[in-house]
Amino acid sequence: MVSAGRASEQVRPPALLDAWPSFRLLARQNLALLLILPSLLLAVAIILYPFFVIVRLSLSNVSPFGQLRGFVGWANYAGVLADPVFYGSLVRTLIWTATVVGGTVLISVPVALVLQQDFYGRGIARTIVMLPWALSLAMAAILWEWSFNADYGMINGILQGLRLISGPIHWMARADTAFPVEIGVGILVSIPFTATIFQGGLSSMPTDIYEAARIDGASAWQQFRYLTLPLLKPFIEIAMVLNVIYVFNSFPIIWVMTQGGPDNATHILVTYAYQLAFSLGRPGPAAAVSVLMLAIVLTFTVVYMRLQREEA
Amino acid sequence: MKRKLLRSLLSWAVLSPLIVLVLFPFAVMISTALKPETEVMSYPPRWLPRHWSFASFPAMWEQAHFSTAIPSSLIICFGSVLLTLCVAIPAAYALARLQFRLKPFYRLFLLVTQMLAPVLLILGLFRMAAAVPFGDGSLVNTRLGVILIYGAFQIAFSVWMLSAYFAAIPRDIEEAAWIDGCGRIRAIWHMFLPLAVPAIAVCASVAFVYGWNEYVVALTMLRSQDKQTVTLQAVNLVAGRYSVEWNQVMAATLVATLPVAVVFAALQRFMVRGLTLGAVK
Repeated sequence: MVSAGRASEQVRPPALLDAWPSFRLLARQNLALLLILPSLLLAVAIILYPFFVIVRLSLSNVSPFGQLRGFVGWANYAGVLADPVFYGSLVRTLIWTATVVGGTVLISVPVALVLQQDFYGRGIARTIVMLPWALSLAMAAILWEWSFNADYGMINGILQGLRLISGPIHWMARADTAFPVEIGVGILVSIPFTATIFQGGLSSMPTDIYEAARIDGASAWQQFRYLTLPLLKPFIEIAMVLNVIYVFNSFPIIWVMTQGGPDNATHILVTYAYQLAFSLGRPGPAAAVSVLMLAIVLTFTVVYMRLQREEA
Repeated sequence: MKRKLLRSLLSWAVLSPLIVLVLFPFAVMISTALKPETEVMSYPPRWLPRHWSFASFPAMWEQAHFSTAIPSSLIICFGSVLLTLCVAIPAAYALARLQFRLKPFYRLFLLVTQMLAPVLLILGLFRMAAAVPFGDGSLVNTRLGVILIYGAFQIAFSVWMLSAYFAAIPRDIEEAAWIDGCGRIRAIWHMFLPLAVPAIAVCASVAFVYGWNEYVVALTMLRSQDKQTVTLQAVNLVAGRYSVEWNQVMAATLVATLPVAVVFAALQRFMVRGLTLGAVK
């Protein structure tokens, strides 16, 4: 890498200040800055600035219409932490994230392994598995909500046709059926992205070590356990981290299917925060929930990076 | 030959539960969209309609205001794609080709922006948009506001992916152009970018699909009917209504989903390479 960089400096773009090495260095630094500046400006304005706004809101008394009525310290946080709905949502967020990410990875590994085989119709199979990726999360939620509709839904129709149930089940009317359905939809829509990462990982693997393993008499399971899985590990980790961040913040599925109901029993933190902000007119506590969520995601990422550095 | 046949049967058998689950909602969608209203509201439901009906399409076109929603979605998507590319290509070039002191900091910054999802910031985004004067009012309820937000949230992914691709393009090509007396900018424009077209195309498509499918930001920012996007309008047919006309809803999701599904199916091969390059680097 270093030698390649040096070599390329022998041939450099013609510049006015070529005779002045120090100026040239400055010019190169400035060129790089100039190139990253637009993206930096846009991200700071649209992502960092709103972040500071949220922190400020979370420490202020905010009217339902958004006027700031003074600094209140931790009052919004205290209010949220005293709300039983918050704890329910927090626990459910952890369950939601763990089950969706865990289920997605568990299913995606064998799916990617199969899709990596050479078989008839592989192109079609890959396209079908990728299909949910094209679907907006909100659309997926609508489609499944209709499929699980109590009165006319296809799921009840099929189950009754198979004589597995005697009458229609009101899936979405009860949290203990609605939430698992939402988790299932969450897993289904997360598989394409995850399986894609794994496929990329598998295709980058050297084939000769498998050959060697086969000659040494390793069984298919042993090959998977001692070759594929360790080689796939970095990809599994990447997929886990990205999925944890995405799923933790995933809003449309639950919002469209149950809006956190019935009786607040399917809320996760994002839907709870959105409801506080835009349905219940309590921007201050909503901002506090957002900041707490950010703290959780950041802690997770930092702990993960630490662990990874220790391993290396 | 026989082994491959066996392997194919086995592979399809293993994949079949997932494939059924993936295709199920699409089958329900098409089946319901082609039924007349009376058949939708009957139990048990049938897969094939007794009477085929396309009436739900013009009805939903009216109800979901698709005649304004589709242009609105297109404006927002093309706008945000253009914005994303304009800021991401130079940044990715800098990351792939130049050494500069802020590089580690800039990479960390991109990672942090990935963690701040739009939903988490939605209150802040709304206040920010409300604070920026634009036209007669503010950026709230404007397509420009949504374009800026979508563009910003696509930066990290686009820069990662593009810089991974750019790094794989040999330097010699540009250097040859410099020797021939080409300036740096001209070398980039004439030699470098044409080679990067496939990566840029994937990046643009991902940004386009993101904009087409996005829900929370559109829901919060776009207040007036004529500006709302296709995704938002389709959900509006369901959300907060006492009686839902499911055949219209399914017709709307069908029209909203089909173009994106086609784009995705076509791009699927490139995605595997692009994503893994971008994700692991």
